[in-house]
Amino acid sequence: MTRIRVALARAAAWIRTHRFALRSSAVAIAVFLVAFFFTQWWDFTLPSLGRADFQAVFLANGQTYFGRYYDRVGAYVKIEDVYYLQDVPGADASQPSGTKLVRRGKELHAPGSRMLVPRSAILFVEDLSDSSPIAQFMKQDRR
Amino acid sequence: MSLYDPERDRVRLAGRWLRWSLGWVAVPAALGIFLSGNVDVHALPMLGPERETAVLFQDGQAYFGHLDDSGEGGTLVLRDAYYFADAKGAPTGLSVGLVKRGAEAHAPADGMRINRDRVLALEQVGPNSSVAVAIQAERDIDHETASALSLNRISVGGTQVLMLQRTAAEHDIQRGYAAATDQLAKLNDLVLPVTKAEAQAISQKAIADLQAVRRNALAALAIVLGANANDAQAYANATDAILESQTLPNEPAVLLAPDLNSVVSRATQLYTQVGDVYAKQLTQPKTASPSPSPTPAPSARP
Repeated sequence: MTRIRVALARAAAWIRTHRFALRSSAVAIAVFLVAFFFTQWWDFTLPSLGRADFQAVFLANGQTYFGRYYDRVGAYVKIEDVYYLQDVPGADASQPSGTKLVRRGKELHAPGSRMLVPRSAILFVEDLSDSSPIAQFMKQDRR
Repeated sequence: MSLYDPERDRVRLAGRWLRWSLGWVAVPAALGIFLSGNVDVHALPMLGPERETAVLFQDGQAYFGHLDDSGEGGTLVLRDAYYFADAKGAPTGLSVGLVKRGAEAHAPADGMRINRDRVLALEQVGPNSSVAVAIQAERDIDHETASALSLNRISVGGTQVLMLQRTAAEHDIQRGYAAATDQLAKLNDLVLPVTKAEAQAISQKAIADLQAVRRNALAALAIVLGANANDAQAYANATDAILESQTLPNEPAVLLAPDLNSVVSRATQLYTQVGDVYAKQLTQPKTASPSPSPTPAPSARP
């Protein structure tokens, strides 16, 4: 019993002696964790005021992706909830082929909703107006 | 007596706080932001599934693997890479097949350094997607094991995954065989320059050769899956008999592991070659066997 008391007293004395370093370490750990999880949530996206809900992203290889475009710090931008246009062949050879809007995610690699695109692969980005049939389709599809 | 107390000097106090903040606040914050930007919390050991990234190139190619994009230069490093190769018309029912990077003629080592300017997009591969499952099956075939200490621990497919892949490969081999025999039957419906009996003999020989290709493909499949030569032959004979009597319904296409895909691709090539050889025999008129030219008789010179 006496040994335990002595050990506790020593521990308390050690804590008193090193209280400044302990407090500083606790603050450093808390700051590290806050910064880490804030960055995970933030994802380096830059705020853009007054933009539309959806954008069309025209890429250097001629493809166009539709979705929520976010500018980010660094080499990549982010598109979420990505859609693209897919050619649909006609029922028979006499009928013309058409296009349909497809939500990205059902491909062989079942990609997640987040797509990172290098800035060098982007030609330009346009906001979709509220009356855009593509924007309306995406809005309805997300419900 | 001086009234100056260094402990109350505001400038000194501010300096002390600044020094403290730099070491205990700014450095941990910068470290947290840097680590968070480069590490995926879901991919830390014991915390989540493997993180596979799809790298889509501007020319349409797609590569899959473990992406390291931590460097500040313009280069990404992709390790344990797989890619899609064209497989139009293959019996798998998919327009692409999965190939493991490394078996090319120049035998590249692991670690592709990719120019970011040529990349179209990066996406995370779904852990249960066809690509992820095929990669897991390939690792099982290659007897790879997951390292507990890795920051992005690999997933290895189990027996169930391998069984599904094997069945799909067997069905693909059978579909290729059925397509080749159908082609032969269609040829036989045409008006051929050979007699009916000759056509039947050629067709029977063709079917026997196609069956041999199927049996050999099944044996190759068993060897890829780890069987020895005797077991592989026994498996091939047994499965060949089952497949012969089986009609395959329309099943969803399965993306095969690269090693299994190469067996199916080779079988498909051989089916085509055999089919072409016998199609030629069926459709080309038999040239009359050259009759021996009369030996010129020695004539008496005038």
